[in-house]
Amino acid sequence: MNPTLENDFVKLLEKHQNIVHKVCRLYTNNYDAHNDLFQEITIQLWRAYPKFRGDAKFSTWMYRVALNTAITLYRKSKRRVTTQDFEGVAFKMKAEHYDDTEDQQIKVLYKAIHKLNDIEKALIFLYLEDKDHKEISETLGISEVNSRVKMNRIKTKLRTILNP
Amino acid sequence: MDELDLLKKDWNTKSNHNTISAKDIYPMLHRKSSSIVKTLFYISIIELLFWVCINTLPLVCSQSYKNKLDRIYTSDYLFTALTIISYAVILSFIYLLFKAHKAISITDSAKLLMENILKIRRIIKYYVAFNLSLFGISIVIGLIYNIKNDPNTSETLHAFSKNQMLVSGLVVLVLIAAIVLLVWLFYKLIYGILLKRLNENYNTLKNLEA
Repeated sequence: MNPTLENDFVKLLEKHQNIVHKVCRLYTNNYDAHNDLFQEITIQLWRAYPKFRGDAKFSTWMYRVALNTAITLYRKSKRRVTTQDFEGVAFKMKAEHYDDTEDQQIKVLYKAIHKLNDIEKALIFLYLEDKDHKEISETLGISEVNSRVKMNRIKTKLRTILNP
Repeated sequence: MDELDLLKKDWNTKSNHNTISAKDIYPMLHRKSSSIVKTLFYISIIELLFWVCINTLPLVCSQSYKNKLDRIYTSDYLFTALTIISYAVILSFIYLLFKAHKAISITDSAKLLMENILKIRRIIKYYVAFNLSLFGISIVIGLIYNIKNDPNTSETLHAFSKNQMLVSGLVVLVLIAAIVLLVWLFYKLIYGILLKRLNENYNTLKNLEA
């Protein structure tokens, strides 16, 4: 593999890694699973990178690959990862960081989001990332109208959880 | 401020993760993927080899089996026809799988990606169904040949009453059906476990469009 390509990719991923972490946070609920999904998304991004044309923003392209990996390619508990396996890989994030200083309301919301199904999570993720309905519909492969309708239902669902 | 706006603000301002350095990303690029596409790819190869072995090993390993098959099939060219069909199916299977795997792109929309993966599963399903049918048909042809031409079997059957004949015929049919059904259920179970989540997500997306 071309070393320049590898260096460019690593630089871009390092810069935009927060997107991947956010997807992992949404779709996993423990440290090992988070790292496992992060690893799989990184592999899929790297494999797809030679075809990345640069006509789209790297971050926009990442959203699609990361979400597709999380909701389509990734199998939960498929790889038994021990903490030792990651020695030297320096995943410094600690499990307790998932729930540190959120205020109560935010905590309840995050808990509620974790109870949504995979597709609902993808919709709420793209909403939280400020994506418009055109991009959401293109990422998921649904119509804009259905994206709006479903999004409103999820928002209502979350509000109901907060204000029963 | 609305609760969801609050959440959005929190989501976009707060970083919950310690960053991973470039040095740590490099080794990650060379690790092996364990996505379901890769698993499906390996399963396709195993399916292919398994059924090719089932069809050809007895021919290669047992001369008496080969002679017997020659006696059964020579007269009506059935064996040649079945062999040609088998190889044509194997080649078509390889071509279709290759095409289906090439069509998979992680940058497609989630729905299209899922459809393309499920297409691979469908191709494997048809291949297995074809081989199981062939297996069932071969057993039936073999039995009919034995009844007609094997003196021992003919004698035993002649000693049977009509009812006994009917019962033995039914038992044989039920046994063949049971074997085919068991193998089929085994496949359903494997793919059911492997693609459970993908199927659920695909149905959710499909229902959104309904």
